[in-house]
Amino acid sequence: MPMFNLSGLSNEPKEKNYDVIVVGAGPGGLTASIYARRAGLKTLVFERATEGGQITLTNMVEDYPGFSSISGEGLAEKFVDHAREFGVKFANEEVMEMSLDGDLKKIKTDMGNEYTAKVIVMATGSNPRKLGVPGEEEFANRGVSYCAVCDGSFFKDKEVVVVGGGDSAVEEGIYLSKIASKVRIIHRRDKLRAQKIVQERAFKIPNMEFIWDTVVTEIGGKDAVEYVTLKNVKSGETSKLETSGVFIYVGLVPNSELVKDLVDVDQSGFILTDEHMETNAKGVYAVGDVRKTVLRQVVTAAADGAIAGVDLTKYFD
Amino acid sequence: MAALLSEEDRKYLVDLFNKELESEVKILFFKSDNKDECQYCDITQQMLDELAETSEKINIETHDFNGEGELVEKYKVEMIPAILMLDKDGNDMRIRFYGVPSGYEFSTLIEDVIAVSKGGEVDLSEKTLEMLKEVDRPLKLQVFVTPTCPYCPRAVAMAQKLAMKSPYIQGEMVEANEFPELSMRYNVSSVPHIIINEGAGEFVGALPEDAFVEQVMSVLKGA
Repeated sequence: MPMFNLSGLSNEPKEKNYDVIVVGAGPGGLTASIYARRAGLKTLVFERATEGGQITLTNMVEDYPGFSSISGEGLAEKFVDHAREFGVKFANEEVMEMSLDGDLKKIKTDMGNEYTAKVIVMATGSNPRKLGVPGEEEFANRGVSYCAVCDGSFFKDKEVVVVGGGDSAVEEGIYLSKIASKVRIIHRRDKLRAQKIVQERAFKIPNMEFIWDTVVTEIGGKDAVEYVTLKNVKSGETSKLETSGVFIYVGLVPNSELVKDLVDVDQSGFILTDEHMETNAKGVYAVGDVRKTVLRQVVTAAADGAIAGVDLTKYFD
Repeated sequence: MAALLSEEDRKYLVDLFNKELESEVKILFFKSDNKDECQYCDITQQMLDELAETSEKINIETHDFNGEGELVEKYKVEMIPAILMLDKDGNDMRIRFYGVPSGYEFSTLIEDVIAVSKGGEVDLSEKTLEMLKEVDRPLKLQVFVTPTCPYCPRAVAMAQKLAMKSPYIQGEMVEANEFPELSMRYNVSSVPHIIINEGAGEFVGALPEDAFVEQVMSVLKGA
């Protein structure tokens, strides 16, 4: 991981009119922007956090071809550098409003700026799903976290729990085991969903424990998190477990608020597209995690971006 | 000692500063040579030295936190390592970095250098600029961050942009791991965590501009 990272630098665009505007600078959006630039199109990418998207929240990526093991931050930086090299512009602004009718789409940002483009690529990704139990909101900044790489260091030599059983839960649990004195993974089933290789690694870690068939029903404490209440889904038995931190990895919700009334989405809010990644609104594409798809990985997001980035050139022929 | 900046990043900065920097920027750096007192002062110094080499418009002035009480008092420097910036006329731009601006925060430092060299030119909405006119007493915005938090730079940048546009606002980055006691005092366990006027107000998360400004203004109104 580079000690000094420049991937968050914005190019401060003064120009407000583009051929293509990509909303979200994760692997999907960046790949779309690279293909659009290679087709000679004037391309702007909006990012409300740091360029790179959700992989910047991942400690290590081990399933993107060409890199047997690379930090999420490192891979993100390579994507961003690649896009920059081809002349993609970046703006660190949050898109607040969109109008997608007609040939010229309009975008308004939190800084009060207005932009236009002929084609929009929605690459807004997803956010961690909330657990939805009492105490989660109350302690949201007092021991409950959805980002181990951001907040892990506050739990040095303390005991923490991780809720979930997928790749993110187990991988971030492994990351936390190097900081916290003990990590307990609480999973509602009797086996993990995470990739086998990740599971095997986790089972070997001495300060990592697994609590199976169990859900968290409450997060409690005084000023900060002190305990979670657990319920075994098979026996119905309840218990209390002392902990200083609760890291939640129980799935994703799509960031489709901006467009959910403007394009077709499924019941959960994932954007529907055809095989070219185009939505039912002409000239509006969706790629990566925000799209209804069967797999949400860096490589599939990038593939989505490539398909969209090539297809959208038809609007400029 | 090996260079902190990669050759690639160094070149990128040389180009960027060539294009973007207008007037000179003076960076004041407060430190101590006592390692027990300031574990990260050396690395901050080295980073700043490397930064200064990328443009002749960037000047670093190093000061001893313990030996130069008058300056420490003048700029109200509270902890070290501390970085602050002055414009070409020597005006304090009211931005502070406490701790190494490493990881993702390095980008914020670079953007600040550019903004200061343009006399505090930053991108804020008309609405925000209007609201800032109502600020009539000091507001200190401390943004607690970790270098690995991708949401954090935007919160720091927002606080510091407000600072550059209002003579009453000070925008500070505080690297939470380097100042554990202060972090504990404010119960920081999720970042970015923004503390307003020593706890008169606080919020967590990188909010869009409107929502961020609203949080800040609510403290001013005593809400």
